[in-house]
Amino acid sequence: MTGEVATGEVQPGVGEPYILNIGPQHPSTHGVFRLRVAMDGERIVDMDMIVGYLHRSMEKLAEERTYTQNIPFTDRADYLAAMSGNLGLCLAAERLAGVEVPGRATVLRVIFAELQRIASHAMGNGTLVSDAGAWQTPLLYMFRERERILDLFEMTCGARLTTNYMRIGGVAFDPPPEFFPKLESLLDDLPARVDEYADLLVDNEIFLARTRGVGVISAADAINGSLTGPQLRGSGVPWDLRKAEPYCGYDRYDFEIPVGRQGDVYDRFMVRMEEVRQSTRIIRQALAALPGGPHKTEVPLALRPEPGEVYGRVEGPRGEVGFYLVSDGGPAPYRFHLRAPSLINLSLLKKLAVGASLPDAVVTLGSLDIVVGEIDR
Amino acid sequence: MSAVPDFASPGVDGAADERAARPSPLAALRGLGLGRLLMLGGALLVVGAANAAIGYVIVDGRLEGEWYDLRDLGLAVGRLRTELDAEFDPAVSYWVTAILGAAGILVFIGGVLLLGSWIERRLLARFQIRRGPNRVGPFGLLQPLADAIKLMQKEVLMPRGADRLLYVIPPLAVFIPAVLAWGPVPWAPNMTYLDINVGVLYVIAVSSLGVLALFMAGWASNNHYALLGAMRTVAMMVSYEIPISLALLSVVLMTGTLQLSEIVAWQEEHRLWLGLLLPVALVTFFFSSTAEINRTPNDIAEAESEIVAGYHTEYSGMKAGLFMAVELGNAVVVGALVATLFLGGWSLFGLETWVPPYLVLGAKTGAIYFVLVWLRGTLPRFRLDQLMAFAWKFLIPISIANVAVVAVEASIFARLDVAAIVPLAAFTAINLALAAAVVRFALPASGGPRGAPPALRRPVLTTAVGGLRAAQRMRVSP
Amino acid sequence: MESAGVVAAFWILSATTVAGALLVLLSRNLLHALVFLVLSFLGTAGLFLTLSADFLAVAQVLIYAGAISVLIVFAIMLTPLASRDNASSLYAAPGVLLGAAIAALVAFTALDVGWPELEGAALDARGFGSTVARIGELLLGQYVLAFEVASVLLLFALIGAIVLVREDEPAPAGAEGGGGEQGRAP
Repeated sequence: MTGEVATGEVQPGVGEPYILNIGPQHPSTHGVFRLRVAMDGERIVDMDMIVGYLHRSMEKLAEERTYTQNIPFTDRADYLAAMSGNLGLCLAAERLAGVEVPGRATVLRVIFAELQRIASHAMGNGTLVSDAGAWQTPLLYMFRERERILDLFEMTCGARLTTNYMRIGGVAFDPPPEFFPKLESLLDDLPARVDEYADLLVDNEIFLARTRGVGVISAADAINGSLTGPQLRGSGVPWDLRKAEPYCGYDRYDFEIPVGRQGDVYDRFMVRMEEVRQSTRIIRQALAALPGGPHKTEVPLALRPEPGEVYGRVEGPRGEVGFYLVSDGGPAPYRFHLRAPSLINLSLLKKLAVGASLPDAVVTLGSLDIVVGEIDR
Repeated sequence: MSAVPDFASPGVDGAADERAARPSPLAALRGLGLGRLLMLGGALLVVGAANAAIGYVIVDGRLEGEWYDLRDLGLAVGRLRTELDAEFDPAVSYWVTAILGAAGILVFIGGVLLLGSWIERRLLARFQIRRGPNRVGPFGLLQPLADAIKLMQKEVLMPRGADRLLYVIPPLAVFIPAVLAWGPVPWAPNMTYLDINVGVLYVIAVSSLGVLALFMAGWASNNHYALLGAMRTVAMMVSYEIPISLALLSVVLMTGTLQLSEIVAWQEEHRLWLGLLLPVALVTFFFSSTAEINRTPNDIAEAESEIVAGYHTEYSGMKAGLFMAVELGNAVVVGALVATLFLGGWSLFGLETWVPPYLVLGAKTGAIYFVLVWLRGTLPRFRLDQLMAFAWKFLIPISIANVAVVAVEASIFARLDVAAIVPLAAFTAINLALAAAVVRFALPASGGPRGAPPALRRPVLTTAVGGLRAAQRMRVSP
Repeated sequence: MESAGVVAAFWILSATTVAGALLVLLSRNLLHALVFLVLSFLGTAGLFLTLSADFLAVAQVLIYAGAISVLIVFAIMLTPLASRDNASSLYAAPGVLLGAAIAALVAFTALDVGWPELEGAALDARGFGSTVARIGELLLGQYVLAFEVASVLLLFALIGAIVLVREDEPAPAGAEGGGGEQGRAP
């Protein structure tokens, strides 16, 4: 039943495909992203992905700014996971310049990165279910916790979305005292809330019918396509930078990585659900281990790393957020490149969507969880 | 366990923490606030007391022979007719009462459209942990009015290349059947505007008229989204009209009449809701109706996330407003039809002598409408091919089998010479058992639960790290 | 004998029906023609109503205006040459002949039947009576042979449609839907 679009399907103008422009303004393109689709009835026979509507020339602009000045750019690349972007750039720059980070800052970074992961997965899974046709309800359910996380961000750094929180050598601010009780209560509530989403969706017949066996990515395809993040783990590949290449002391925390069984949309959804639970675990441990001391080491405002290059990467909510920095000894990077996981994850869409029906393609796109700000940069 | 001591300041009160937004829709009542709850309760009390008083006066017989009867506005109209007949030509009373009835229905529909959209939006907001419209007028009650005024003021655009004639007709052509469908609904024993003896057929006929209009809307818009929506609409309606007809056929077989008022009377006489006696027909009718009127989970004809707004993508201003109004109106019509055909219509086991029967029907209609909104707030959407397969491979065969069973039962019922309660009770038991069997055995076989049991759908948790080989290992031994 | 309302209704409905039928012939656009055809169907249903044939009127709306028109939509959308408009064709001559023959048949029937006129009590008794039961009895009693022959014919059409479509691909919905619609009529 899944996969085939045959019964009851009517084809306008039999035989000749027609062109459908999905986007740049469309409810399910998740931003200004355009698909030019050749359709035969409801089936997609060919597809062009057209990106660039949100191009802001970030990488070139970055060459004119100091490393610290570049941190806000990472907020606006993946604007749903600003903390992860901050963290990636800071780690890379610290390695390039050989800056030591105090223990407290490292643990705070873990807390905020994991909170960001929960918030981002809430958004990703919520919009995925909206794409499957549930009229906003799961999305808004998932927004409850996201909202509280954004409140925590706001009380710490003053911004909810574009946090600009991490600094080279630490984090910008220590969380205020009221931060910790609020975080505790959030952590107390989260598991029950995740179970609530699960009740609504995990065994929902319609949701299963829409997502099981749809948009299947095999493990080999996922690896060949350079997928990372839940998109890769959904296909059954146990690869997570937090385990494979621990940074920020992730090897000290006790957590597991969820891995899907058949690589379909449902598996990616479930992997994200499970990652929210695991992130809760990590944050609890991090809170328990949070040392005192300074939250930042003083580094010169115009940091001048020795000439050289570095590639630093972290596991963001959408996969590997990588920063390739080249220094020529000046205060600004000679070359600044962002490996945006959304762009690379998106590259598999054509393979998945051609031959599928329009609704399946929409759900598949939703399950890839793209952020256009990061794709276009 | 946390490092709070370093930073804890005595002034911070953790309990004051707004303990999350509301945890579930069930707790929405708490969010209504005590004051509003009291207001609501007070209003209910007043209305109930007024109703009881009226009921007392009526049942007491003090108004017997008076010119009106609040229980049944049909009697008032009948009385008006005899008075007019005494003075004028019969044609005068005919026209006057016809116009009165039509005006009544139009006013009712207007009210439904205004109130219904407010109810739907508020309910959805409650389901979604939002507040819903609450700014225009008390409780936001005037929001629909404001929206209507806004829509009327908006410029109506016609896309270039649109077929002028066919673009203009559809908003009207879908609105008229939606109004007409209210005709044969019996509100009270004597209160039916169009008490024709082919009422059931009339309802199907009128509802089938809208299909073509929707197709025209999509086709004339000269837009691929609209055309896709139109094609989906037509394909779906053609498929789902058959189960609807078969469900209604089993009702007709059992009651032996096509007249809606007679069907209600039958249910009242036998003290049995047809929904209990014919559960398969009820479910078939309800599910297929959601497909016919484009409601979740079958709203594929205007699936927002896929084809924007389907057949009315290119309509703007009040033209789009009419499409949306029709959608809402149709949902309420479905509520009224389900209530009338399967839930005993205006009758409520004797309560209708105390409360005006039209209020009983209104309450039942509202309940069904609530279920429709609830579904919309909860379920994702099917795919076109899944819906088609469900209609043709499952619903239609089941409906045909159901009709056969009901036909046998109806003929036994007609020939048996015992108190009606005996065979009806037996049939109810048999049909409920059959319905349960269908749900238990036939439904899963129709391509139901996808493969693995729930435990095997959960992701595997691991601390291992690896590439393709690790993935293969995990697949072998999960 | 008849009230002014019925007379007015008759003329308005007749005008609608005939005008609709004429516009079907004259309009170049196939889908416009379809809309006028539905208009004509609805007019006919109205005429049935003025004759107190409620079942026929509703059946006319249900089957012709509702179902057949949708089948025509399917036919138009599934036909590769549908973009060709309602232009003149070689079939005009046989079409005219066929139309003339049918018109002659209807005219002959109308003239040949002695239309009985009911008055007073007899007319009231015949009003909106239960025509459904009567039609059912006639179809399954006196005219059962014609009824069964029609059913078999429709069944043949159904099977024929499936056979025709089977060749290249699994049957598209149009044929299936159409078959279903007709199949349930008997």
